[in-house]
Amino acid sequence: MRLSGMLLSALVLTPGTVGLVLLLLTPRNAKSLHRWVGMLTSLATLGLALLAWSRFDISDPGFQFVEVRTWLPSLGISYRLGMDGIALVLVLLTALLQPVVMLSSWKQIDDKVKGYVASMLILETGMLGAFLATDLFLFYVFWELMLLPMYFIIGVWGGERRVYAAVKFVIFTLAGSLLMLVGILYLGSLHKASPAGVWSFAFEDIAKLTIPGGAGFWHNPQLLAFSVFALAFAIKVPVWPLHTWLPDAHVEAPTGGSIILAGVLLKLGTFGFLRYCRPLFPEAWQAATPLFVTLAVIAIIVGALVAYAQKDIKKLVAYSSVSHMGFVMLGLFGGTVTSTQGALLQMVNHGLSSGALFLLVGVIYDRRHTRLFEDFGGLAKVMPLYTAAFMITTLSSIGLPGLNGFVGELLIFLGSFKTQPVAVIIAATGVVLGAVYMLTVVQRVFWNPLVHEANRGLEDLTWREVTAFAPLGLAMIWIGVYPLPLLSLSEAAIRRLIGG
Amino acid sequence: MTSIDLYAIAPELVLVVVGSVLVLASAFAPALRPRLVWLAGLGAVGALATRWVLPLPGAVFSAALRVDALARFVDTYILAALLLVLVMAEPYFVRTAVRGGEVYALLLWAATGAMVMAKADHLLPVFIGLELLSVCLYVLNASHRDSLVSLESGFKYLVVGAFASGLLLFGIALVYGAAGTFSLRAIAVVATTQPLTGNPLLLAGLALVLAGLGFKLALVPFHAWAPDVYQGAPTPVTAFLSVVPKGATLVVFARLVTALAPHSLPPRWTTLLAVIAIASQALGNLAAIAQRDLKRMLAYSGIAHMGYAMVGIVAFGAEGLAGVVVYLAAYTFMNLAAFGVVSAFSESEDEPHRLADLAGQGWKRPFLSFALTVSMFALAGIPPTVGFVAKFLVFKAAVTENLVWLAVVGVLNSLVSVFFYFRVVFTLYMRPLPSREPAFAEPWPTRFATGLCTLAMVGLGLLPGWLVSTAEQAVRALLE
Repeated sequence: MRLSGMLLSALVLTPGTVGLVLLLLTPRNAKSLHRWVGMLTSLATLGLALLAWSRFDISDPGFQFVEVRTWLPSLGISYRLGMDGIALVLVLLTALLQPVVMLSSWKQIDDKVKGYVASMLILETGMLGAFLATDLFLFYVFWELMLLPMYFIIGVWGGERRVYAAVKFVIFTLAGSLLMLVGILYLGSLHKASPAGVWSFAFEDIAKLTIPGGAGFWHNPQLLAFSVFALAFAIKVPVWPLHTWLPDAHVEAPTGGSIILAGVLLKLGTFGFLRYCRPLFPEAWQAATPLFVTLAVIAIIVGALVAYAQKDIKKLVAYSSVSHMGFVMLGLFGGTVTSTQGALLQMVNHGLSSGALFLLVGVIYDRRHTRLFEDFGGLAKVMPLYTAAFMITTLSSIGLPGLNGFVGELLIFLGSFKTQPVAVIIAATGVVLGAVYMLTVVQRVFWNPLVHEANRGLEDLTWREVTAFAPLGLAMIWIGVYPLPLLSLSEAAIRRLIGG
Repeated sequence: MTSIDLYAIAPELVLVVVGSVLVLASAFAPALRPRLVWLAGLGAVGALATRWVLPLPGAVFSAALRVDALARFVDTYILAALLLVLVMAEPYFVRTAVRGGEVYALLLWAATGAMVMAKADHLLPVFIGLELLSVCLYVLNASHRDSLVSLESGFKYLVVGAFASGLLLFGIALVYGAAGTFSLRAIAVVATTQPLTGNPLLLAGLALVLAGLGFKLALVPFHAWAPDVYQGAPTPVTAFLSVVPKGATLVVFARLVTALAPHSLPPRWTTLLAVIAIASQALGNLAAIAQRDLKRMLAYSGIAHMGYAMVGIVAFGAEGLAGVVVYLAAYTFMNLAAFGVVSAFSESEDEPHRLADLAGQGWKRPFLSFALTVSMFALAGIPPTVGFVAKFLVFKAAVTENLVWLAVVGVLNSLVSVFFYFRVVFTLYMRPLPSREPAFAEPWPTRFATGLCTLAMVGLGLLPGWLVSTAEQAVRALLE
């Protein structure tokens, strides 16, 4: 009993605490100590996440393992954590990706290992905290906490234009989140003005409020508050046309940073829409649906076209994220239980497939120090294991039946077709475009003739790289074949949210 | 004068006496000079202990001073700042051979002036405290006697400070002419019985007082002196200058505005203060982007921060003023840490403290760089630091008072400020290290002081409960 009362705190705080201890108390040059501590902490966190999964009651739509501690009582701020099905799915994704990141960086990051591992661990605390916080203030703190380690990861260990990318990432993210802070303050003040008469930022208290609407935009508090939240989340997703930070950040970040950025950080945006925008601002959500559906469709098509035009594989994967997150947004704003379940599943799918793609792109970059298509060709003969891994990921990414991407896209389209038929029809062409650009990659990198002598002696995946890829590949197949356990985790929570 | 009156100002008396002893010892017992900093520190600790041990009598000296919970809070803040400055000043003054009891005595006396201001419920002690503070600072700014920039800084501060004092004094005279009293509470009675708009003398007087205080806070449009003075003054003095006078002045501001009660002020005044707040934020942050010298950058950042603190004054009420008081505490730790690191990093005092000189130092001198990084994040208002808590409180007060637009402008300005605060971090960690070794080892007192500030920034950011409740209690005394 005592254990389950602390489970979420242990889950959230373990990585960050270890990270801080590493940062402050260990010598600078103990590289393998730092790597092993990072790896074991990630595995321990994964263990805690699995423990939460095993104890999770899927029939309960509300928050479980709830923890409430007073923090700043006079301001109505408390330390509240809680896990519902939606958060559980994303926590599992985060905890699964973290060891992969540690493995992927094992050899690649050889300079300032301590800082890197500590940043990654603190980042994990920020991400898990943002998923599990049920107090808006606490959520904001975790949300901002993610920013700093990511800034360092991109800026210190990134590629050539790392500084530009890091600053752009910070400014874009903060532009959204600072306005969201005013929105959070506004919601708190509404609770103060309500019959309750006290400040509160607890999600359950805020969710009980009816936020006044009004005519127009500037005289409609609900729409205004929705807008500031939506802006912060839309930048994170990113929704077209707010996506321009993403290609820079993804391309310049080191492999581990890209995996976590694409795999988890983007999900925080869509998670925010689902957790906060939808239940708190129902009328504004309705009003904004046409806008966001349109933007989602644009993102799907434009992201895919721009991806097709890239010469750099990593950039292509980055733009494909814009396109894939468009599907998630479409599912969310499709508004039905099915489409929302599809959107949540697609978040996981994209986390797995884009994480794996960045991992695999990092592998050849480590060997050849280039990511341009023209430098490759015919790798299938030289690196058979690598080719197999890349094929699985590609097929998952383009939605081949039997792999995870298919299930998510199908649910999104099925669910949204009732409400947004035109958007679904256009978006479906995005699936075709996805196949076009991803298969082009495969063709150019693996099947074309082997023209570069430098590629002839490339080493195939090492056991370490296979170990890093294996959990992602297995999860793709598992979700593709038997998605029910994952879908049932979040079904109760989503049903309550949508009211279907 | 009753004995209770003397009890009430015992901390000030301690500081004055210890300051005098310091000067005498420095003159007549030069052998003791290297140890005088200990005496100065002892004096500050003694004053702090006295303040917390003795009860708070409330109004003393015919209600000219008000020794209440707010006064205790501000005294604590001033004395804590003084102690931290003393700790980091010692190695600096040893290095630059500006050594002697006089410097420490002046710091103690300046703190006394600030403490008097913070208790004043009457315009005359405001002026006396301000003059004591300013005169000491004129000398302190120029205490680096071989350095031209230091002399220039002292001179500039003298000219501008004298001008500001003149404005303040003239304003006080006009207010006296209109109201027939110096007491803030009595002025408030006059202001509520007669509408201010029909009383041009009082209006003009208040406007001049506002301008005089605005100079001390370096609010736009009274800010132009700050960068030059900050840049030239010896760095520990700059640290002191950037927090103590501002804190004391803000409290005077708070007492003045509370006494006048905003409902008796025409809405135009609220607008005026809001405009000053916004202009300070905008100008401070935008000009800071263009700076290449760290001390100048921090000067402009200070202008912006006073703009944020003014949001709390504009919002008024218990929440706003509590926000201002918390802001003061937060600002102290952030600024002292930043200046402490800058003083440790500076190669020689004649050289400018260029941002570019920090390149790559993050990996070379991890401790101080970490402290500077935390203080930059705190100044930018990133959680979980005390800077975020402070901003959160003032913006929250603005939202409560239906001034959502003011909060929005405030956060947008914070966004601008992120650019130059993060640039410092970027220079520390993401620029290659030039082939230059530090000219001297990090002195342990600087590490100690900045480490303490860093702990305070993060600790109070994670667990702000105590700070916030103390501030609320302090402000309650004011609003009674």
